[in-house]
Amino acid sequence: MEEEASPWLLFGMSGLVIIFLAAFAVFATRRLTKLPTTKLQGFVELIVSALNGFIGSIIGPGAEKYTSFVGTIFIYVLTMNLLGLVPGLKAPTSGLSITIALALIVFVMYNYYGIREVGALKYLKHLLGEPLWLAPLMLPVHIIGELARPLSLSIRLFGNIFGEETILVILAAMSFAIVRYHGIPVITVPVQFPMMLFAIFTSFVQALVFATLSAIYIAMAVSGHEELEGA
Amino acid sequence: MLYLMALALVVGLGVPIAVLSAAMAQSKAASSALEGIARQPEAAGRIQTAMIIALAFIESLVIYALLMFFLLMGKLPETAEVLSKITGQ
Repeated sequence: MEEEASPWLLFGMSGLVIIFLAAFAVFATRRLTKLPTTKLQGFVELIVSALNGFIGSIIGPGAEKYTSFVGTIFIYVLTMNLLGLVPGLKAPTSGLSITIALALIVFVMYNYYGIREVGALKYLKHLLGEPLWLAPLMLPVHIIGELARPLSLSIRLFGNIFGEETILVILAAMSFAIVRYHGIPVITVPVQFPMMLFAIFTSFVQALVFATLSAIYIAMAVSGHEELEGA
Repeated sequence: MLYLMALALVVGLGVPIAVLSAAMAQSKAASSALEGIARQPEAAGRIQTAMIIALAFIESLVIYALLMFFLLMGKLPETAEVLSKITGQ
């Protein structure tokens, strides 16, 4: 196989996820009742209340404003990660472009929330640090620390999903190569199956870590950087 | 020649060193989480969530080392080519 996959492949996979999630959301929120009567509404309310509680435990009071953003990030990243396990589809997060885009969105949004809550001047003043005469030292350190956040977010997600997918490919190729070497034409054992179970766990954990970090950054930006709420 | 030898050593040793340090760090995190759960079983849910997140952070550092491994592995030459250069010299 000499041809490379098209650069629009991950874009198409991500579009698939977006269409699927949007259709599911529209379908699940038709004819809502005050007390859930259908199983679908109960299931969706369970997800929303779990996300609300989790994000509230990080941001503290006033977390309802940010639940939609962080909750969407969680569900979107989780679905994209799990897409890699479906035969024939590729996880969009296994490419650096998608994860950098997500990390940049989180970066812009938590700065925007911080400026909206606390005011632009006070928000930028935290970069100078506590004793004001240390400002020429603290300013570059804080700026580099702030810029390291989207970098680490994107590379963490990309590395985990790309590495797990590469391990799956190597395991499958290895089992195929061993069987071919012994001359058995047909039977291949799916050696990568336990790795796929572990990959489900990793997808959940990485989506959780991404959402938790976004919530922590929002919490730190909104509270004026003096204290950290909850977790 | 020295360059290729150094490159091969680094490619081989990079990830294992990262994995060693990560194993020690994760064992510390897990042991203190388990101790916390044993001391106060009602908080087990929150402690478990915090432990999983801490483990994912430490593991992501190993993933950075794995990424460097993939980058450097692309720069290694083929074994057959190196062997033919050595024996052909």
